[in-house]
Amino acid sequence: MSRRIWENDWFGPLLVVVVAVAIVGALNPSFLSPFNIQILLLAISVNAMIAFSQMIIIAIGQMNLSVGAIGGLAAIAFGGMMEVWGIPWPIAAFLALALGLVAGLANGVLVAFTGISAFVITLATLSAYKGVNLGITEAQPFYEIPATVKALGNETFLHPLPWLIIPCVVVALLLWYLLNRLPLGRSILAVGGNEHAAELSGISVRGIVITAHAVSGLLAALAGIMLVGRLQLGQPTIGDDWLILSFAAPVIGGAILSGGHVSVAGTFLGVAIVAIFTQVLVLFNIDPFLVQVVLGVLILWAVGINRFREVRAQRHAEQVAT
Amino acid sequence: MTDIRQERSGAIGHVEQRQSSRLTLLRLLLSNEFGLLVLIVLFALIFSTVSPAFLSKFSLYALGRTAAVNIMIGFSMMVVILTGGLNLSVGAIGVSAAMFGGLLMEAFGLPWPLAIAGGLAMGAALGALNGVIIVRSGLHSFIITLATMSIFFGVMIFLTRAESYRDISPVFTGFGRMKLFAIVSPLLIVSVLVAVLLSVLFRYTALGREMLATGANERAAELSGIRVNRMITYCHMLSGILAGVAGVMLVSRTGAAIPSMAGQLGQDWLLPAFLGPVLGGTLLTGGRVSVLGTFLGSFLVTMLTTGLLLMQVGAFWVQTYLGLLLLLAVLLDLFRRSYLTRRKLI
Amino acid sequence: MQFKRLISALLALTAVPTLALADSSSRVALVPGGPHPYFAAWEQAGADAAKKFGLGSADYKVPQKWELGLQNQMLESLVTLGYNAFLIFPGDPVGTVAIADELADTGAPVIALAGCLKDPSKAVFCMGTDTGNSAYLGTKELLKELGSGAKIAHFTGFLVDPNTQLRIDAVNKAAAEGGAEVIQVIADIDAPEPAEEKINAYLAAHAKDVDGIITTAWVPAVVASSALRKIGDKRIKMVGIDHDEVVLKAIKDGFVHGTMLQNPYGQGYIGSYVADRLRSGCKVKADAPFKSNALTDKFIDSGTVFAGVNDVENYVGSMQSITNTLFEGFESTYLDC
Repeated sequence: MSRRIWENDWFGPLLVVVVAVAIVGALNPSFLSPFNIQILLLAISVNAMIAFSQMIIIAIGQMNLSVGAIGGLAAIAFGGMMEVWGIPWPIAAFLALALGLVAGLANGVLVAFTGISAFVITLATLSAYKGVNLGITEAQPFYEIPATVKALGNETFLHPLPWLIIPCVVVALLLWYLLNRLPLGRSILAVGGNEHAAELSGISVRGIVITAHAVSGLLAALAGIMLVGRLQLGQPTIGDDWLILSFAAPVIGGAILSGGHVSVAGTFLGVAIVAIFTQVLVLFNIDPFLVQVVLGVLILWAVGINRFREVRAQRHAEQVAT
Repeated sequence: MTDIRQERSGAIGHVEQRQSSRLTLLRLLLSNEFGLLVLIVLFALIFSTVSPAFLSKFSLYALGRTAAVNIMIGFSMMVVILTGGLNLSVGAIGVSAAMFGGLLMEAFGLPWPLAIAGGLAMGAALGALNGVIIVRSGLHSFIITLATMSIFFGVMIFLTRAESYRDISPVFTGFGRMKLFAIVSPLLIVSVLVAVLLSVLFRYTALGREMLATGANERAAELSGIRVNRMITYCHMLSGILAGVAGVMLVSRTGAAIPSMAGQLGQDWLLPAFLGPVLGGTLLTGGRVSVLGTFLGSFLVTMLTTGLLLMQVGAFWVQTYLGLLLLLAVLLDLFRRSYLTRRKLI
Repeated sequence: MQFKRLISALLALTAVPTLALADSSSRVALVPGGPHPYFAAWEQAGADAAKKFGLGSADYKVPQKWELGLQNQMLESLVTLGYNAFLIFPGDPVGTVAIADELADTGAPVIALAGCLKDPSKAVFCMGTDTGNSAYLGTKELLKELGSGAKIAHFTGFLVDPNTQLRIDAVNKAAAEGGAEVIQVIADIDAPEPAEEKINAYLAAHAKDVDGIITTAWVPAVVASSALRKIGDKRIKMVGIDHDEVVLKAIKDGFVHGTMLQNPYGQGYIGSYVADRLRSGCKVKADAPFKSNALTDKFIDSGTVFAGVNDVENYVGSMQSITNTLFEGFESTYLDC
């Protein structure tokens, strides 16, 4: 079944991005300056990891509230291993990723084998992981970040493309391939669509749930590590305010919260929309007391456009059918 | 997963007369509410053994007072969860309602009952606005309330410039500081009253049943003549009112209406809002509520926090233990149910 | 035990010859608004004071999150645990008044530390940084460097914190007096991720339009320091706040002009001592020379100093000397014992 281009999930968000970039670029040319594009891409690279980390859980129809806590824990583990134990950064990064994977696995195992809602489990592990973070750091950042890491977190390999965009693009492509081409990906979406039916068709629901949570933990850890590079600090507060973004971007990108339907491209564009709006508020010098109002209205506008398009497509389809 | 289904059928409350009393007892023992009660007693025993101060008059009073507000926040989320939706803007609405009440008292000099009514009306209006936008747009309540959370809170901060209202009627603030029988806060009694009202609504009124039917299966409800959209809007309105009650309770307790009472964007309320209903057995997919369960769930979480603070586990580790205790609590509950099921059913 | 008491008494004598032996039943709790590096010095300060003045204890108790409700719950539990003196950073200047009054009603001395409670409250006094004044002085320092006609940007913290409005007003006032213009205020950036995003976006678009930056919150100061270092811009002058390593290093390397230091150690140390004195019968003098600020008329400045490139190396020393000066005169100036 071939779909027309405007019926894709990513079309609406893409439309919003294009319109927003055109308007903002016309009103304020510095928005399209190479340096600003670099800043924008840096923000998008990290935020996309955060959004993907949640998206994979949304795909199986669950929620992972501990995304930020895992990211924060991986971030301070990364910083701490380098500062306190003097571990070279690639090994530290690898270990921090492993930590994220284990944290995600723990979530997955608990959810799969107890049958308790992921919401409750990850709420509890959110507290536990964040608590470990605070217990280790006592709210003090790790400062000794190697110059290489700082450079990777901030510099470009091809102006204005920052290094951080590479892991982001790789992960996006892998996820797209996983969800659209591999049997595992189809199983993930099947479990999200209808768990019972998936089980009957021979899919190991437990295995899928554990896998999805492990991937989620891994991606959250990756986001945390990338942020350490970008901030040039192992901040214990990393991850504290990821939760809303992690849900908003996939949902703007057309994901259905009850599961079974997510879009990698849509989620990526959702992240871009949020990043652009954040910049717009700064560029146009919006009264700081009004920033939140404007952001809220912009989100409504973005999802509204998408919805309007869907409704029209539906009507169109109905007309054709009759 | 099977456990959830059993719990669903076991706790709905329509215990049929014809069933044997043994099954009735089993259902009672299997119910979420009973499980929470067991956990509350269990942890109370542990805490009071480790730290006898847990049962001191002041400690119990303070616990009840904090729990009262958390319970109300939990209710506010519960009535939206029952439609299968979410309301991320509970905190923003609660603060806006409280600030509006404060404004009416301070700037317009209204007597406190009127000002409180005004605040609750503001909560109702904001909640209804959520409902209308959700119903009209057909978008998920998650994204709508995410946006309105920003908007409500932003407008409130813009209008008040983060200034508090302190000219609150002493009668009203006295209420929040009163001690009944040396240990009971009147705020807790308000929560109990609201809980009773909500139980009556969902158990004995057509409106409540139509709300539940809408949450359970929108299409079926619509076919049976329920005005689904109106029910969803009502639920959001009710959520706004309950959030307003929580906000007003905090005003009574702090003696001022302050913009930061629920943190940035009102986000501080989100955890208590979800914890109570979810621990209490409210299904996130909608269609089922347990008022008593939410009440006990919120109480349990508040008690765990207080207990941990009293046990003086290392300053920075409290949160870890809270997370582990929560896990322990839900796991214990799970084992209890599977144990009972095995022992009595087979 | 006796020996320890003797030692601490001797130590105390060497520092403050007039000191009497303190009441060892005092259990002081130092409670910040949430986990934050600013307050880290309180832990040591409390421990030092407890040792030196023979307090029962002076413990640093951190609420796990920046939530008013959680801080209240923690304070309640501390009463239950038998703490009888409280040094509190108010989670909200108005919202914390109720619990502070309740604590005071149990007979415990309550001191607002680092930030003030809004009058009227039952706090004995407020000792800390005058947030508005610090922002005002910082802007003045910045304008000294820039001269009139300068365009400055102001990065600050959460708008729900009423202190943020005080800071915005103070910066605007100083700018107006110095003939400068505040061309943009960016707020709500107390978390590192949004701070990074917004500050970099701002510099990307407006770096050429702005001559100076004033930051009045911890995280924006850190992030703006690294951002200036990143773009290698030494034309833009910046005055930060607090003593984060990133800020101090940027000052040393010339990317940041200076920072407004506060005195958390002094607050915790003197605060613990005074709380104990108040418990052992001292009273605040009726005519104590308290200062006034936007929140309270019972304010004691714990010291705010500007540290430029020459002062950074020795900032600990300069804060210590302020602490000592404040400490030496404290009892005779403010207390009737």
